Amino acid sequence: MVEYRDQNAPPGGPYRWGMVIDLDRCTGCEACVVACHAENNIRISGEEEASKGRAVNWIRIERYWEGEYPNAQVKFMPVLCQHCGSAPCEPVCPVYASYHTPDGLNAQVYNRCVGVRYCGNNCPYTVRYFNWFEPHWDEPLNEQLNPDVTVRSVGVMEKCTFCVQRIRGAQQTAQKEGRRVKDGEVTPACVQSCPTEALVFGDRNDPNSRVSRLSKDDRGFGLLEELGTEPSITYLKRIK
Amino acid sequence: MDLKRRDFLKVLGATAAGSLLPGCAGETKKLIPYLLPDEEIVPGVANWYASVCRECEAGCGILVRVMEGRARKVEGNPTHPVNRGKLCARGQASLQGLYNPDRLQGPLQREGARGEGRFKPISWEDGMSRWVSELEKHPGGAVLISRPVPGTLARLFSTFIKEISGRLLFYHPSAERALAAANHRSFGIDLLPEYDLANTTYLLSFGAPFLSDWLSPVHYGFAYGRMRQGRPTVRGRFIQVEPRLSLTAASADRWVPIRPGTEGLLAVGIGQVILQEGRARLAKGDRGRFEKFYSAFSLDQIAAETEVPREGIIRLARGFSEAAAPLAIGGGSAAAQTNGTNTLMAINALNLLVGNLGAPGGIRFLQPVEGFHSAQAHPVSEQALLDLRGFFKKQKRSVLMLYQSNPLYALPSSTRFREVFEDAAFVVSFNSFMDESTALADLILPDHFFLESWGDFLNEGIVPTAGLAQPVVIPRYDTRPVGDLFLSVAKRIGGRMEERLPWIDFRTMLREQWKTFLARRERDKSFEAAWVERLQQGGWWGPEGRLVSVSRRALPDAVEPARFEGDPKEYPFYLSLFESMGLHGGEGANRPWLQELPDPMTSVVWGSWVEINPKTAREYGIQEREIVRVISPYGEIEASVIYFPGNRPDLISIPLGQGHTAYGRYAKGRGVNPLTLLAPMIDPLSGTLATGATRVRIERTGRRGRPVLVDQTGEGTRRHPEGKKGET
Repeated sequence: MVEYRDQNAPPGGPYRWGMVIDLDRCTGCEACVVACHAENNIRISGEEEASKGRAVNWIRIERYWEGEYPNAQVKFMPVLCQHCGSAPCEPVCPVYASYHTPDGLNAQVYNRCVGVRYCGNNCPYTVRYFNWFEPHWDEPLNEQLNPDVTVRSVGVMEKCTFCVQRIRGAQQTAQKEGRRVKDGEVTPACVQSCPTEALVFGDRNDPNSRVSRLSKDDRGFGLLEELGTEPSITYLKRIK
Repeated sequence: MDLKRRDFLKVLGATAAGSLLPGCAGETKKLIPYLLPDEEIVPGVANWYASVCRECEAGCGILVRVMEGRARKVEGNPTHPVNRGKLCARGQASLQGLYNPDRLQGPLQREGARGEGRFKPISWEDGMSRWVSELEKHPGGAVLISRPVPGTLARLFSTFIKEISGRLLFYHPSAERALAAANHRSFGIDLLPEYDLANTTYLLSFGAPFLSDWLSPVHYGFAYGRMRQGRPTVRGRFIQVEPRLSLTAASADRWVPIRPGTEGLLAVGIGQVILQEGRARLAKGDRGRFEKFYSAFSLDQIAAETEVPREGIIRLARGFSEAAAPLAIGGGSAAAQTNGTNTLMAINALNLLVGNLGAPGGIRFLQPVEGFHSAQAHPVSEQALLDLRGFFKKQKRSVLMLYQSNPLYALPSSTRFREVFEDAAFVVSFNSFMDESTALADLILPDHFFLESWGDFLNEGIVPTAGLAQPVVIPRYDTRPVGDLFLSVAKRIGGRMEERLPWIDFRTMLREQWKTFLARRERDKSFEAAWVERLQQGGWWGPEGRLVSVSRRALPDAVEPARFEGDPKEYPFYLSLFESMGLHGGEGANRPWLQELPDPMTSVVWGSWVEINPKTAREYGIQEREIVRVISPYGEIEASVIYFPGNRPDLISIPLGQGHTAYGRYAKGRGVNPLTLLAPMIDPLSGTLATGATRVRIERTGRRGRPVLVDQTGEGTRRHPEGKKGET
């Protein structure tokens, strides 16, 4: 394996970004979903395209109904790219559009992507979304678009980036100041908006970060971890 | 009001991105409010401005990220005591209100008959003259229906309307009037309380949708997270009592599917058990009174009425009274009945029984911010709006004014509120969108969007907070701040009116209010310094507020059954209308992000649906996604069926928010408005519309609908039993 030499490597070794999602706090309010749309220039699909299953939600709330009336209950689970340590989407990409960054992100290089959709097929979490049509915003809705994030064009696969634009911004600031990014200094849009603080983001290589401490909780599990994907997201079970 | 379009553009050019513009030209020389001088605005570098979110009535603090003069993202303000840096889906989507393609871009005047929907642009000068001449023609006949605007704008409105001897009604459908009425009767306090969820150990909620749309959802969402997992050794328990398993109930440890309208009775049953088992923590003088009240009920009868078994009631009573910090709250479906106020009083009585008033984890009434002149905006109930019908009939020469208010959509057609519009001599709307009510206006003088406006917001109930809102972008269109319009009319009217409202524009008035206010709070600073600091912070908030002492500890007047419209034989189903997560009562329907936000329970996007218990549906032979007709004595609607295991078998539930006949391209003609089904049933104690008091029946149409579900599992609401997948 070729050693990746990062000239901007942070003092004390690389970061490993990860997330903890406490299902006992999540209420399914979907603040994260809209926050993600706003931050990441996610296109509006419209009723017609959504009915074909083409709506894009980098983070979505899944619901699991159990039991019958009067014992019916529903459980929510926010699902986003798990940024797997051993990601099934990466080796299948013929053009290396889907690759792993040194700090543990499962990244997608849009201008390499040729749209074969192998990665989407191989992702057990179905969190990769294909652009079946050119994105469009009725004017002047486009004035809201975040200049830090690319608008993905037709024929390209896209997915959650853990708001890489924010991570890179914080890393550069820290780099200039000759320090590591502090715990809580950078949060993806979903984590930032979550009213119940169900989502926590941070560096897993820092043993004292909230993410590292919370992921040791007895309630912790990884989504479909039996597949050996080594997800970067630890879910904490809901108590019921 | 002599700012011409040309001057407007000049100023726009001169002040560059990030500057702002009041409505009056005289003030343009004194533009200073932006905290960063222009030379610091660097392309590609974001500026952040603190303001107040106005997408619902909670008034969360926000920080808006502005780049190159465009608002890009809205975040919660981390220091604001209401939302502590968090923000909901609707707050996030406020940008799609600002940049909505269907915003009204300038003043319009009706052409053709009223309601025909034809308008032509007019100049601000002509528009203002028409408005003023109509006001002068109809002395004493002016009525302003405004959304509650607690703060300086409320003071401006009330002073103005008082001077012209008009009527001012602050109205919003989600204003929780029944809760205010119940608290007034139970505790003798006219304030909304702070429920200390974060420190509660046992939360018993009767229908209160506090995780989706009740009072201050982000505030209570935050507290809920802490209640569950914020304490090292305690996890608060949470029981939700309501006929439909709502988004809030989904997070509960236990859901109690009660018969609609009997929530108050259950509260009484629980209270009775607490008293009988000797667990009440009552003040000495109250015991006799409480024992007398509760002994009049039979627990078996309560069990039969509520359909909650006797053992279940006892279990709830023990859980509640044995908890270290119990709390009972009520709202939503429990308040949406003709006995809503009494129900909420019965729930209040549970809190009295366990003595949690002012205690950690209980109910606290906190003194709101002091030092603002009469800037409260007490919302009125639906009954007060309906009383306008008589007023307009008598007056026959009245001027109806609307500010951020769409009563024609929010009130069921059975209330005949349309008559108010028909009888009005002149209708003026200051709304930003062509909604149902604005479409019937004679004159439209659109306000700036809230992200383009000055303003303040006094939060009630939580830590004493006065949010300060500033424009974060240059006004996009030829709109004008409503405060400026009223102040300029005050000047034209002159005399006493001008004396009482002497300010040149709304920003000046706001600054002066804050000057008086800050003079008492921050004595060691100059006003300019304090003002800039408040703008940067997003307002003023103090330490914990003073507790307001409770002057009364009353029991419900009566515990009577709820009344329902419709014969149960002909109309076998109860009806529950609920606010959808994204669209709420319909205000969110013109924001594509919210239309495309999957309903958390069913994953439906871009439309309406009807929820039926799967067993009931099968009895009727109704397939999932089949279009069904829901019929009440007052109207009917058609929408696709979604099997909903969280409904009582005798309950039909339908989300609110769709079925607009106007309100822009994303909202108009989409889905159905279930309010058309409702009978004009009112809770007499609070005057609120009882949205749960209409019975319905269903008919098959045999047609298959096309509801759009975006559930990744493809299972919708079908159950997932252990081991078996998606069997219906």
